[in-house]
Amino acid sequence: MSEKQLGYAMVLPSLILVFIVVLWPVTQSFWNSLFDYRLNDPARSQLMMSANIDLERYVDNHFYIDRQLDNLVSTAESEEAKETILEIKHGVESYHATLISDEEIKGKVEKVDELLMNFTPIKDSELKYTKVDNDFAADYRGALESYQQSLTAISESIDDEASSQKFLQSADLLGATGKTILKSNFIGFANYGKYFKDQRMWKSIGNTTFFTVISVALELVLGLAIALLINRTFSGRGIIRASVLIPWAIPTAVAAMMWGFLYDGQSGIVGHYLEAWNIIPNASWLLSTSQGSMFSIIFADVWKTTPYMSLLLLAGLQTIPQSLYEASDVDGANKIQQFWSITLPLLKSSILVALLFRTLDAFRVFDLIYVLTGGGPANATESISVYAYKTLFAQQNFGEGSVLSVIVFLCVAIISFIYVKFIGSDLFAGRTK
Amino acid sequence: MNKRAGIGFYLFLILFVFLVMFPFIWVFLTSIKPPSEIFSTFRWFTTNPSLDSYEAALTNRPLLRYMLNSFVVSGITTVLSLAFASLTAYAVTRLPIRGKGLILGIVLASSMFPQIAIISPMFNLVTDLGLRNSYLGLVIPYITISLPLAIWILSTFFQKIPFELEESAKLDGATPFQTFRKIIFPLAAPGVFTTGILVFIAAWNEYLFALTINSDDMWRTVPVGISMFQSEFSVPWGDISAATVIVTIPIVLIVLLFQRRIVSGLTSGSVKE
Repeated sequence: MSEKQLGYAMVLPSLILVFIVVLWPVTQSFWNSLFDYRLNDPARSQLMMSANIDLERYVDNHFYIDRQLDNLVSTAESEEAKETILEIKHGVESYHATLISDEEIKGKVEKVDELLMNFTPIKDSELKYTKVDNDFAADYRGALESYQQSLTAISESIDDEASSQKFLQSADLLGATGKTILKSNFIGFANYGKYFKDQRMWKSIGNTTFFTVISVALELVLGLAIALLINRTFSGRGIIRASVLIPWAIPTAVAAMMWGFLYDGQSGIVGHYLEAWNIIPNASWLLSTSQGSMFSIIFADVWKTTPYMSLLLLAGLQTIPQSLYEASDVDGANKIQQFWSITLPLLKSSILVALLFRTLDAFRVFDLIYVLTGGGPANATESISVYAYKTLFAQQNFGEGSVLSVIVFLCVAIISFIYVKFIGSDLFAGRTK
Repeated sequence: MNKRAGIGFYLFLILFVFLVMFPFIWVFLTSIKPPSEIFSTFRWFTTNPSLDSYEAALTNRPLLRYMLNSFVVSGITTVLSLAFASLTAYAVTRLPIRGKGLILGIVLASSMFPQIAIISPMFNLVTDLGLRNSYLGLVIPYITISLPLAIWILSTFFQKIPFELEESAKLDGATPFQTFRKIIFPLAAPGVFTTGILVFIAAWNEYLFALTINSDDMWRTVPVGISMFQSEFSVPWGDISAATVIVTIPIVLIVLLFQRRIVSGLTSGSVKE
């Protein structure tokens, strides 16, 4: 094997993995967003480009139709009702015959029937669902619905309670069978149209943007100030480094719980002191008002990530040659001039890289808000990721939730595109030749 | 830099460290208060310290189980991603293949993808594989985060190893794989180790996937487990403080032991040298 082939062989496994765990899911999210796809609704829990029949429930229901209708004929008193029932029976028979005239569907129906007899739940979705012609599905479904109506009508016209119940029962059975014939739930960009007009979506984008801009700006300014201050020789560097790293290293969810305790309206120390010093109106302001809770999450985020920012900037500062400062000292430049004309320009690429990663992290913010405020009060701190999560997993609405997650993806893509334009090829410097 | 550090500077440092560490200090002081004191006073130091909160934190919830879960999941994730990433980073930095920029571009782009755009198909995939509430069910999605991170940091470290060593190994007749195993890997080992720490911490801290995929209490990881300590009606701050202290200890140990390495790993991607 040549070096080149070996190289490709070494890269391949990772690329395949990245494809499976990153690129495929993102594409799939986009695809899901084009469907009315809800996990908690049996009629919409699959992606269906065309009409489908849920065979498990269809076969199960169909099994009883024949018997129940025969039973009804004997209960019915008027000739008219008897005729209607027979008509329905024929109708169902002929539709079912058309359905199983397809050899493949017939095979599936038999297999499903066998499994149902043994009370085995059907897990294989290939067997459970079968594609059918859209027009046939609409006709069959329509027919079953009209049968349901005519049986309900008969049941209402009968005075005898027991036989009226029987008619109603059969009507429901036919209706339920109709519901196993599923329409396609492909709706194209309709979900996007809905969110385009959704106030809550725009509000959550606004919250996310506000949070991102303010916290990243504060982190940059504070981080730079700290980096400039500690960029010198002093004893005790180890303590500083450790105290800077610990907030960065602990899980955000744990940090959010700690701040939740510090901010708490009754027993929180931060609220207590801020109230005592008359900075905030009362201790519960921090988590129960919209400005207060936005302040709280930004403050917690600044606490957690400023140290990390200053670490990155300090590393950048240490690469600036000392001779530049000495030369400008000779030329009579003061500290402020040195900062603007030496430090800042030479630190530019470090700052941009640090900003890129921080901005993306902040825009994707989830755990901090989800744990600290849950998006509240009244969605005042809800970020777009939190909104997407609630739609996906609390409402089990994978179609609409995917729209929100695609929106997050697009925003992140735009942000990184802008940054990469600014940073240019520096991003890859030191890795490839 | 050789500015002298004066007394004012040290005062600033003490204030800085105090502010940064304040939440930890307060949470620790709370955790050793008897539960009745937590809700009644704002005194800093308790006169009769007790370990009641610790006992409650460890018995009311399977806290040690959460830590075991986190440890196993992060460990497997770290080993797997280091294995794949070191091959890739080596090939990209040192072997004559084409499309290096493209490969690194894909890797970098993957690390920028928001997890929320990956979660729902990943949830379906893990559910279909029957892996919900298992270790493997979390390791698969964690590769999403850890593999791009590992490739990105490792390629900086591999790039720094002098090329001459490789050349002379080649002259002595070593195959590329032998060169990788006998020359590069030992030299790169510190870098690999550093990357391993960072990947481990990233996996330990992950929240979204752990929240959705392992919803059974016995399979929760530390961040999710801690965030579920509060119930709808009462917030057991004593338990939470004690639990926070317990789960923070491993992280503090890692940071104290490996702080130099962590800093070099964190800054390696952001500074040109």
